[in-house]
Amino acid sequence: MMSLQTRLLLAASLVLLVFVGLCGAGLETAFRRAALDAQENRMRGLVYALLGAAEPDERGQLELNDGDLPEPRLMRHESGLEAAVYDEAGTVLWRSPSQAGSLPLVIGPDVGKWKLERLGDAGRFALSFGLRWFVGGDDRPLRYTMLVLEEADVYDEQLAVFRRTLWSWLGAVAAALLVALVLVLRWGLRPMHRLVGELRSVEAGTQGQIDAPYPQELTPLTGALNAMIRHERSQLQRYRNALGDLAHSLKTPLAVLRGLAGDARLSGDTQRQLDEQVGRMQQIADHQLSRAATAGRRALAQPVAVQPVAARLAAALHKVYADKGLAFDIDVAPRLVTRVDSGDLHELLGNTLDNAAKWARMRVRLHAAHAATTLELAVEDDGPGFPPEPERLLERGVRADSRVPGQGLGLAAVVEILRAYEGEIVLERSAGLGGACVRLRIPGA
Amino acid sequence: MRALVIEDDPDLRALVAQYFVDEGFVVDSAADGEQGLYMATEYPLDLAVVDLGLPKVSGVDIVKKARKKGCSYPILILTARDGWESKVAGLEAGADDYVVKPFHKEELMARARALLRRTGGWAKSTLESGPVMLDTAAKSVTLNGSAVDLTAYEYRLLEYLLLHAGRVVSKSTLTEHLYAEDMERDSNVIEVFVRRLRAKLDPDESLHPIETLRGQGYRWTLPRTPPA
Repeated sequence: MMSLQTRLLLAASLVLLVFVGLCGAGLETAFRRAALDAQENRMRGLVYALLGAAEPDERGQLELNDGDLPEPRLMRHESGLEAAVYDEAGTVLWRSPSQAGSLPLVIGPDVGKWKLERLGDAGRFALSFGLRWFVGGDDRPLRYTMLVLEEADVYDEQLAVFRRTLWSWLGAVAAALLVALVLVLRWGLRPMHRLVGELRSVEAGTQGQIDAPYPQELTPLTGALNAMIRHERSQLQRYRNALGDLAHSLKTPLAVLRGLAGDARLSGDTQRQLDEQVGRMQQIADHQLSRAATAGRRALAQPVAVQPVAARLAAALHKVYADKGLAFDIDVAPRLVTRVDSGDLHELLGNTLDNAAKWARMRVRLHAAHAATTLELAVEDDGPGFPPEPERLLERGVRADSRVPGQGLGLAAVVEILRAYEGEIVLERSAGLGGACVRLRIPGA
Repeated sequence: MRALVIEDDPDLRALVAQYFVDEGFVVDSAADGEQGLYMATEYPLDLAVVDLGLPKVSGVDIVKKARKKGCSYPILILTARDGWESKVAGLEAGADDYVVKPFHKEELMARARALLRRTGGWAKSTLESGPVMLDTAAKSVTLNGSAVDLTAYEYRLLEYLLLHAGRVVSKSTLTEHLYAEDMERDSNVIEVFVRRLRAKLDPDESLHPIETLRGQGYRWTLPRTPPA
C-alpha cells in the first residue's frame, strides 16, 4: 500500500501543479489582453494622427500628403507599419509608401467604429476605422475606411518573453514549493517515523515501551499501545501466579501423600508403589505446569538483561551448594539484552546452572553472547562430564545419577522451553573446564 | 535442636513436624504467616522450615523480616512453585536452601542437617573433634573408633555442644533448644546429662571435653578435626 508520505506528496504536488498552471494561464491571458490593448491604443493614436494630417483635395475627397505623415516608419519601405484609406466601395484611395505587404480586403466597420483583427497570412494586426468626411456645404458626406497595419512580431516577441519569464518563474516557484512541501511533510511525519522506530525497538526487545513524547494527536495512540504492552505482560504474570497457586494446591497434598507413603505400618511393597505413583503425579504436574508457564516468543516481550539474572541465580546457587564452595564465573556483557521472557530465562539459566553446580567440583562457568541474532548460552563445569548417550538426559525424568538430589527434570524442562523458541541444545564436553558443557542456542532472541 | 515449621496445610505441617520430632528436634509449628513470623522472631530457634505459599504473611516476607530482626539460624524454604524466580526470591530474602514439594523425608532431613552443621562451621555430615566422632546422618557416636551408647537426650546434648564447639552455651539455652515447652524445665536435668556425657566420653577424665563456666554455662573444648 502507498505510504502516507507518498500519498500526501502526490496529492499536494497535483494541487500545486494545477494551481501553478491556472495561475500561469490567468496571468498570461491578462498580459495578452493588456498587450493587445496597448497595441490597439498605439494604432488608434496613429489613425488619429493620420486623420489630423488628412486634407481635402480639390474634389473634396480625403487626401494624405506623404510629406505630412506623422510616423516616419510609414515612409520607410517595408518598415512593418503601413496605412491605407479605402473608399466606400472598398477601393484603395491612398496607401503609405512603406508598403509592408499586400493589402487585405477590408470590410469597413460602421462609421465611428473600430475593428482590430489579426490577419492570419503574415502575422499582422489590422485596425480599421469607419469615418465620414464632411468637406462643407451641402455635399453628401463621403464614407471612408482608414486602415493601419502593423506587423505582430514585436507583440509576439513581447508575449514570448513574458511567457518565458512567467513560466520559468512559476516553474522555479513550484519547484521551491515542492521542496518545501517535502521538508514540511518530513517534519510533520517525523513523529510517525519515530513511533514506528520505537515500536520496532519494543519488538526487537531493546526497549520496554513507547517512551518519547509525541504530539497530542498521537498521544492517545501511544498511550493505548503502552497500555496494551503492559496489559499483555501483566496478563502473563497473572497467569503465572495462577499456575503457581495451582502448583501449590496440587503439590502440598502430594507431599502429604509422599510422607504417608513412608508410614512404617505399610508394607515395603505398598510404600514403594505409593511412592512411585506420587512420583508419577509429580512429574505430570511439573511437566504440564512448566509447559503452561513457558511464555515463548512474544512480539512485545520486555527486553531482559541477561547478566543480572545470571548473577542472581549464581548467588542463589552459591548459597544452595555452600558446602562445595563453588566459584561461579559469569562471563556475560552487562549490556547483553534478550527477547527471551524473563521467567523463561530464569528457567533456562536456573536449570542449566543448577545441573552444572550439582556435578561441578569447584567451578561453573556461564558464557552468554549474541551471534548475529541468535542468543548463545554455554554452561560449563569441572565435574565428571556427561555419561555416554547424554541425549537420554534430555528425556523427562531421567537423572544422570539418582544419588544427586534434584528433580531430574531440569534439562528436560530446558528442552521444553527451547522448543517454544525454536532453539536447540547441545550436550558436550567442556574444552576449558573438562566437565560437562550445555550449549543453548535461541534464534531471534 | 529447636525447629520451627511454618506450613498452612495441617496434614503436611503435622507430617513435617513429626519428621523433626523423630530426629530428636523440639518442634514449634505455625499454620499461617502471622503466627509463623511471631514465632520465627521471638523463639530461640536452631532452624526454620518455611512454606512459601502462606496465608496472611508470605513465606518470603517472613524470611525477610526474620533476617532483618537479626535471626541468624538457617532457614529452609518449601516451595511448590518450582520456578526459579520464586526460589531465587526466597534465597535472596535470606533463606539458605530450598526443597521442592513433594519431597522425601530423607531429602528434607538431609538438607536440614546439612544447614545446621554448615551454620556450626562443619563441612561434613560427621562431626569430628578429638577422639569423638558424631555421625549426624546415622545418629551414632564413636570414641576412638568404638561406638558409644547414648540416650536420645544425651545425643542431642552432644550434637548441640559439638555444633556450637568453642562457644559458651548457657543452661537455659540448652533447656530451650533441647526440650519441648511442656517438659519440666529443671536445670538440674542438664547438669545430670552433662555429667553422664562426661562419664561416657571421658571415663578416665583425661580429655575434659566439656568445660563448665560457672554462672555462664558449658563449652566444648576439643578442637575440630579437620578444623572448619
